[in-house]
Amino acid sequence: MNLELQKGSRSKILLRILFGIMAIFSVRLFYLQIIQHDYYVGAANSEQIKRLTIPSKRGLIYALDGSTPVPLVMNQTVYTVFADPATTKNDDKIVEVIRKIAGGNAKSNLKDLLAKKTSRYQVLATRVTRAQADLIKKEELSGIGFQEESQRVYPEGSLSAQTLGFVDYSGAGRYGIEGGLNKELTGVDGMLQSVTDVSDVPLTIGSQNINEPAVDGKNVVLSIDRSIQSKVEQALADGLTRTGATNASAIVINPQNGRIMAMANLPSYDPSKFNEVSDVSVFNNGVVSAPYEPGSDVKAFTMATGIDKGVVTANSTYYNTDYIQVDDRVISNATLGHTGEITFQYALDWSLNTGFVTIAERLGDGKNITKSARDTMYDYFYNRFHLGQLTGVEVAGEASGTVISPNETEGNAVRYSNMSFGQGLDVTMIQVASAFCSIVNGGKYYKPTVIAGEVNEDGKYIENKIATPTTQISESTANQVREMAYTARNTFFTSVDRPGYYIGGKTGTSQVIVNGTYSDDATIGTYLGFGGSEETTNYVIMVQVSGAHKKLAGAQDALPIFTDMSNWMLNYLKIQPKG
Amino acid sequence: MSYQIAQNYSCRRQQNWSRNQNTVAFVSAIKLGPVTNTVIIALMITILGLIYLTQATRVTSYDYATQKIDSQISELNAEKSDLEIENARLASLETVKSSSVASTMTTPTTTEYAQ
Repeated sequence: MNLELQKGSRSKILLRILFGIMAIFSVRLFYLQIIQHDYYVGAANSEQIKRLTIPSKRGLIYALDGSTPVPLVMNQTVYTVFADPATTKNDDKIVEVIRKIAGGNAKSNLKDLLAKKTSRYQVLATRVTRAQADLIKKEELSGIGFQEESQRVYPEGSLSAQTLGFVDYSGAGRYGIEGGLNKELTGVDGMLQSVTDVSDVPLTIGSQNINEPAVDGKNVVLSIDRSIQSKVEQALADGLTRTGATNASAIVINPQNGRIMAMANLPSYDPSKFNEVSDVSVFNNGVVSAPYEPGSDVKAFTMATGIDKGVVTANSTYYNTDYIQVDDRVISNATLGHTGEITFQYALDWSLNTGFVTIAERLGDGKNITKSARDTMYDYFYNRFHLGQLTGVEVAGEASGTVISPNETEGNAVRYSNMSFGQGLDVTMIQVASAFCSIVNGGKYYKPTVIAGEVNEDGKYIENKIATPTTQISESTANQVREMAYTARNTFFTSVDRPGYYIGGKTGTSQVIVNGTYSDDATIGTYLGFGGSEETTNYVIMVQVSGAHKKLAGAQDALPIFTDMSNWMLNYLKIQPKG
Repeated sequence: MSYQIAQNYSCRRQQNWSRNQNTVAFVSAIKLGPVTNTVIIALMITILGLIYLTQATRVTSYDYATQKIDSQISELNAEKSDLEIENARLASLETVKSSSVASTMTTPTTTEYAQ
């Protein structure tokens, strides 16, 4: 049978039509698949390929318990419970379940929130724990969802709050270590690019998959010892009650390596409730961020300068008349009556300003605080003791303070005469305490640090190497000033320290500048001391108490707090007494 | 003495096709037309496609299993993290200070130091 199509037959026409349609299809497919290839591949990828962020975990912050790290700041996964009011059913049951399980974390107006049926998103509870979220999920409530987030938790409560700082709602570290080391703690988010199914489950098919793991933030170990920190906070609180002061700060440093063992300020706050703080000044760490006129504590540095330059010794004498003239100003002692030929040790014991102005004069021509004397003092105060400049401690918000150079107009003889006994310069407690460490450790200046090391991914504590110190004054000078501070303390306060130890220090009572003039009704009391054995100094403690319209003195108000801490430290550090 | 040719002996030349020898080629009685060939090719393509689909589906099923394991790991990590927090809270100074053990501790009257 011959099946060939006859010319002009209907079948042949149909065949032509079919070929025509096929040709149209071919042209269209060529256009879509070849010419428009890139466009449709892009459209398909945007539909199928999802790019997900793998969030990095913020690093934990540890303190030390002796030599073992203990967590101060950790991360906890919490949930925000939300509802889609348009799809919720049995609102009464939802209200009952959320109130019962979420408790105080539930919103107070749950019924009103669920009644907004035109809304698709209403938050019913925040910061719900994983266990609570699981209980809510078990109830299988329709229209209820959970949003996962991470929050910082503080197992030790408000301990060391101002050193830690906090993480705000945008995830950024504020104040303290959280602010100062925000970049290191944050880490780097990872990325997952993959073909996903309708439920966003990543699939391995496709050639454009990318998996970059997140790099978690560094786990930081502070040099803060939690027991010392707790004791310091308690001692400050007791001190406030005893003295009536409203503010108190303290720092404890190991002078043999510059590591800060404790740093506290009162009043403080609970970092887990930072949003409830009404006075934001409590976020500041006054030890590093509040410059003040240090007062008589500075006399130890003036003494060290004089001894190191060879112009005085502890037993050198000068004639004290209770007053001394510098240019057009008359400087007087706070304690009058110790007139006559006296030693510089005696001047330190009684904190006589005239003695230290005399040292400044002897650094010059013996009668005037010459430019040369001022240059020398500036060299020691600024360059060697690092007063009036940032120490580089790792917490946020450090202030530099001011030590005016003799090259400036204001750096005249009157200013430098005041600086010799602690006025006319602004410094922070951490600067003064670090400088004092270099006196009691034999002349070596260590940059103060609050970081002891890190905990690596395996949970192992890796301790940082101790930074190399710089020698600022001779060992002989340092030892002489250390002995003078020991004598100064033991001249008046013989029975307060535990026997068999070598404890010394210097009181300071600073006037407060209000609106450019010294206030008559307010002074800041400080005590700068050290403790340990005669051979080795184990700690330097600096205490400051202050309050609006409060006249607080170093000897009466700050020294007892130092003594409380010092006696406790001797036990805690297991230092053996002599004799 | 005479030699006999073994019955199974075959000359080497007879094992190969060579000139002047008759050969027989088998020709199937069934002939495949163009339609059959097209259908067979289509079937082969279909089978290959099914094999590809099976493999792709198997890989995808592994993805779901992986996803499930990842979720379990994530859940266990969260649980571990919660337990670590609880552990840290129980070992905190405040908890230790208020413990029954701490409340029964007394200050020693004398202290001796090892030499």
